[in-house]
Amino acid sequence: MKRNVLIIGGGPAGIEAARRIRDYGHTPILIEKEARLGGHLAKWHKLFPDGESTEEVLTALTSDMEGIKWFTDTAIVSINRLKHLYVAIFSNGITVQADAILFATGFSLFPAEKKEEYGYGIYNNVVTNADLEHFFNTGNDPRIKDPKVIGFVHCVGSRDEKAGNRQCSKVCCATAVKQACEMKERYPDASIYCFYMDLRMFGRKYEDLYLNAQRKYGIFFVRGRVSEVSEDIEGRLVVKAEDTLAGKPLRITMDLLVLMAGMSPCIENPEIASMTGIHMGEDGFFMPRDLMLRPVESHSKGIFLAGAVTGPKTIPETLNEARAAAMAIDNYFKQKAE
Amino acid sequence: MRERFISGFDHFVLPFMLGMIFVLVWCAVGLIKVMVQIERKDRIKVYKSLINPKIMGKNIRDWFCDCLFHVKLWKRNKVLGYMHSSIAFGWFMLIVIGHIETFLYIPERGGLFYYPIFFRYFMAVESTTLRGSLLFFLMDFFLLVVLSGIILAIIKRFRSKLMGMRRTTKLTLLDRIGLYSLWAIFPLRLIAEGFTAGVGGGSFLTVPVNWVFASILSKPENFTIAWWAYSIALGTFMFVLPFTRYMHIPAEILLIPLKNAGIKVRRPRKGYALAELYSCPSCGVCLDACPMSVDKAGLKNTTVYYVRQVKRRNEPRALAIADKCLMCGKCSVLCPIDISATDLRLALRKRQPYNIGHDFSYLDKLPNGALSSAVSVGGEKVLYYAGCMSSLTPMVSQSVQKVLTTAGIEFTLMDENGTVCCGRPLLLSGRTEEAKALMEKNKEIIRESGAPILLVSCAICYRIFKEDYDLEGIQVIHYTEYFEQLAAEGAIKLNKQKLKYVYHDPCELGRGCGIYDAPRKALTRVGDLVPAGKERKESICCGGSLGSLTLSHEERGRITDHSIRNLTANSPDRIVTACPLCMKTFSRQSEVKVVDFAQVIAENIIE
Amino acid sequence: MIDFGYTLTPSSTIEIDDADLSLFDQLCALEPDALKCMSCGSCAASCTAGVFTDVNLRKVLLSLQRGCEKDLLFQLKSCMLCGKCYIVCPRGINTRHLILSICKIYNI
Repeated sequence: MKRNVLIIGGGPAGIEAARRIRDYGHTPILIEKEARLGGHLAKWHKLFPDGESTEEVLTALTSDMEGIKWFTDTAIVSINRLKHLYVAIFSNGITVQADAILFATGFSLFPAEKKEEYGYGIYNNVVTNADLEHFFNTGNDPRIKDPKVIGFVHCVGSRDEKAGNRQCSKVCCATAVKQACEMKERYPDASIYCFYMDLRMFGRKYEDLYLNAQRKYGIFFVRGRVSEVSEDIEGRLVVKAEDTLAGKPLRITMDLLVLMAGMSPCIENPEIASMTGIHMGEDGFFMPRDLMLRPVESHSKGIFLAGAVTGPKTIPETLNEARAAAMAIDNYFKQKAE
Repeated sequence: MRERFISGFDHFVLPFMLGMIFVLVWCAVGLIKVMVQIERKDRIKVYKSLINPKIMGKNIRDWFCDCLFHVKLWKRNKVLGYMHSSIAFGWFMLIVIGHIETFLYIPERGGLFYYPIFFRYFMAVESTTLRGSLLFFLMDFFLLVVLSGIILAIIKRFRSKLMGMRRTTKLTLLDRIGLYSLWAIFPLRLIAEGFTAGVGGGSFLTVPVNWVFASILSKPENFTIAWWAYSIALGTFMFVLPFTRYMHIPAEILLIPLKNAGIKVRRPRKGYALAELYSCPSCGVCLDACPMSVDKAGLKNTTVYYVRQVKRRNEPRALAIADKCLMCGKCSVLCPIDISATDLRLALRKRQPYNIGHDFSYLDKLPNGALSSAVSVGGEKVLYYAGCMSSLTPMVSQSVQKVLTTAGIEFTLMDENGTVCCGRPLLLSGRTEEAKALMEKNKEIIRESGAPILLVSCAICYRIFKEDYDLEGIQVIHYTEYFEQLAAEGAIKLNKQKLKYVYHDPCELGRGCGIYDAPRKALTRVGDLVPAGKERKESICCGGSLGSLTLSHEERGRITDHSIRNLTANSPDRIVTACPLCMKTFSRQSEVKVVDFAQVIAENIIE
Repeated sequence: MIDFGYTLTPSSTIEIDDADLSLFDQLCALEPDALKCMSCGSCAASCTAGVFTDVNLRKVLLSLQRGCEKDLLFQLKSCMLCGKCYIVCPRGINTRHLILSICKIYNI
């Protein structure tokens, strides 16, 4: 018997899960609130650690969408549970009956303007990691004008109780180092500084990336969190931090500051949680049934979770979770059939 | 009218008499203690105020309005106002009329305390006169007034929500004894007078009671047991009074002239502070007022419990409460007897020993002009002090500069290259002397600049500049007032947009300095102003206050949420505040965009 | 004793074995936030008094944690208690109370 699986969120997790669910012989219905599939990935340029092009990854993911019903520019209006079914109404007016729902709604990028002391939206040459990827993609950003001194600020809105995000966003350290190298390739004369609290290069080949950044690209690493940024008379940025390894306050004038905005829980999470009864952690991310043994199942029957919806994750981790979720959904149907 | 007993005495008056003497001695000792503990110059101030007809007039007015009529309570809550004033004024009138009766009919007994109180027991009516029945009528009338108040009090104790109070204080055992004896006094009086109304006379209340008793008993006037009970209730109340919240009745009589003489709290539990501590009626208005009471555990940190702990000399607990307080001042503003809750706590903080002395000698080496940088446009000279927080809220100083530039005002940035703190945080931590070092340095810098106007954008700095700096000849002005003034004069032109603003009164600016209207007027020039749930002097602290020393980040967060809910009651598009600390605190947690007052003006200024 | 011109001077090593942390324990009892610091340096970088002096709350706290209170405690003398460090601290440490508590407990 063919069953409908509603997949909410057309990022890498949603796409990959849809394909696998189709392969298990069910009918995936994928909805994405934005105009194109791909989520945050579609806005990125290259991926760490090897600089793989996001375009290629996305093309590979979406190359085979046969048998998948998907809608873009579509959001959820309501989800109601009937006995063994969920009835979902979309913003485009379509109503769907689903036997299972997979939430692959991912994360929201931390709004960097919330850290007012970093001057995003106030000073002319402060950008975010996402802005920089956009610049890599389009080659166009009025704020980036042949910078001589560039700074990367790690942990913007991550590991920060004051920003309401205690968790580490996991990917920013590697992203910052990757972006620093890319900037050095574009502007070989620029001096580039990374301001970090702890450099978390945890994955395979990440350490190589770090080593390359130091040896090949000559990126400088300062252990200290940027505390405030001001503008001098010429409009350059004066960045203040403590160089905690030297044990002294540090001041540097820069032409470009890149804020590594972290992963916040998706802003729609509270709404989804109240609609579906999914448990939300204290941090705002969804809680799976068991972090260790059942990481892709929610507490509500027939509702599954994959990707950054349960916390910051890298792309490979997200894709693996999508596959795991597809398998869990298939198992769920098999058990139901018995 | 004649005396029933030649001796003019019965043993039942003893409990009352002993209690009365006890209270009088206690109060006399307390009065002497307070006056001795008050500093000499304050004491002279008090004596002088007592011969000043203007202040004395105010004293008399306050005694009547506050102690008897509870005018403040009336304004806030009619039922509570009636409850308190009916008991206080009714009882007062019973005593006064009792004395009038004694004076009229048996002046030779006028010197006895108990005679006016138990008048109806000792007197027998032979013939009814108009004067007599009028007085009897008045006595019964005021007894009825008091009884109605007592009934309300009983309802309030069990159903405080009916009276518009969300929470009431937890009573101590002695408070309970005091409370129950107070409740008992007047019904017992009614019964006692009812027994003797047949001989002693009575009116519309006591006479019917007497009929009832007479129908059951043959000679009800012999039932002295009721008079005993009445006297014991009075005696019990008087004996426990000094140890209960009812001490506020005599203490407030003393507090009013001291307050009107301009005396301030100097020590945590001596002198004026002692008068304030005993004047606290434990009414619990501060419970609902205190922002910390969003947490149930926070209730224990409110002023009423602080007063209780200080009275009990539980210094560690009192200090813990004092250190927690946000110093937002809301409880003082709402307090029916104006207890200076923040001053009391500050006095305790000041006495704490800190082993590491502060040393600001490094400021002496600093040249006065080193931190400032001038931006010249021409016109009026203004010195702008952005304050230490400004580097974390760059939008504020940027916006202020934009407005000043557009208005064509010549200004100097006083702390462009480093800030000498205004001293308010040290002051709030009880480090008064240390704060002076910073204040002196800032004074030097300000004086040397030669600017006639000191413009301040931080509410915290503004308060200390206004209150504690002695900057004669220099106008200290907060940017809300200054920009409103500029707009009113036409020096800046503003666009009006279709945006709904809600204005948050920062504690230091509103309750602290009384600035409520200027920012509101200016905001109505640029958009629509919607009211918050509670605002102006009842505005709720953002939770970020420097006043609290021990409040944890999590506890502060809950206060912030509460304050934001209050502000967004009328779904505004923007929350506007005029203090960088409030802005920082709100913007962490608010879903509605939080902007600084200067930013709103700068965004809407026509260049 | 004969002065040979040199002594067995305490080296610059932090001798954790010999460290007396009883005062630090008292500090943690009074202000548990003393244990929350992750040494990001925000406090020192934004410090108002730090513009004029060497005061560095992060280092002071670290030296107390290592039982070397004599080294840096004097730095706190220049603190203006302005509270900027509380605002920037990513861990939400109640820095002003921490400083006042250090001042209360340590007697140097």
